[in-house]
Amino acid sequence: MTRKLAMSKLLIASLIFSASMFPLLAFKVSASSEDVAASAISEAEGAMEWAYEAVLEAEQAGADVSGLLAKLNEAGEYLAAAQMSFRLKDFNETVRFADLSKAVGEVAEMEAYVLTDWASSEGEQRIWFTALGSAIGIMLVVSGSFWLWIFLKKRVQ
Amino acid sequence: MRNIEEYRGLFTVASLILILIAAAPTLALFIRVPEGSEKFSELWLLGPERKAENYPFNVSVGESYSIYVGVGNHLGRSAYYIVYVKFRNETQQVPNFTMSEPSPLPPLYEFSFVVSDGDVWEVPLTFAFENVLFQQNFSLVQDISINGVVFPVNCSSAWNSDRNGFYYQMFFELWLYNMTSMRVHYHNRFVGLWLNMTGS
Repeated sequence: MTRKLAMSKLLIASLIFSASMFPLLAFKVSASSEDVAASAISEAEGAMEWAYEAVLEAEQAGADVSGLLAKLNEAGEYLAAAQMSFRLKDFNETVRFADLSKAVGEVAEMEAYVLTDWASSEGEQRIWFTALGSAIGIMLVVSGSFWLWIFLKKRVQ
Repeated sequence: MRNIEEYRGLFTVASLILILIAAAPTLALFIRVPEGSEKFSELWLLGPERKAENYPFNVSVGESYSIYVGVGNHLGRSAYYIVYVKFRNETQQVPNFTMSEPSPLPPLYEFSFVVSDGDVWEVPLTFAFENVLFQQNFSLVQDISINGVVFPVNCSSAWNSDRNGFYYQMFFELWLYNMTSMRVHYHNRFVGLWLNMTGS
């Protein structure tokens, strides 16, 4: 009987202890999901910034980046949704939107590098063709002028 | 009859002009002409009909209001912008134009987007007020719904006896990504919409 009483006291004590620990545990879980969400946002922001810089590089290389800008805007929409979910403390949605933004941003970045390479080699080719065209033009003008001058000179004499 | 040698100079000049014309496409690839135009960004608000008129002013609880927010890019390259939507009463701080500082108030809604040079970005924004309390000389806006997302604001406003109303302002700050600092900075542009909160 005494043993039974001791057991029930122990049970009650452990229940009280668990109940008192619950807020602490709940806070810890909430804090950790907030950290995960904050880190997901930080990664998505980084992906967006890298993608933007890669797109800008492609644009400066002379590539048509309209498709990439649409992708960047999609990544931006997800990133904004992630930021707003974070402020509203909806950390699951924050992570979901941040991951979507990061994925789209990374695709845009990869495509931007491919476009930059393509535009750079095309640009180089264009420079060569233009320079060749100018050189041929100059030679034609010089030789044409020379022969015209000789022809006119002979005709007048 | 005039001697052909008299035309030598004219002939040489004509030939040189033709040579320059032939070389122009190649020269254009290497010679950079400095851009004279000013670089700037635009930020604007339009009313529900996408015109600069009929902006919402007298607002009440449960009603939905529409406006358009737009950004124009004239920076000479594609630009990465963020527009923050903030809400304040008459006493809370707006951005400081002289110091180029944003308002310290936390943003509610935000837009993150990229605009190519010479292009514009414009989107509709719908807002509604939920849970507004009125108490003699005070009103308290508890929640605002922006594009379907509800934000708790808990912003109170005292009765303005000069203008006869409870005044609030919804304002929009323009931020720009800076490649050097690799951060988004306040771009020193904001537009606002004054709202007079009336009873439901």
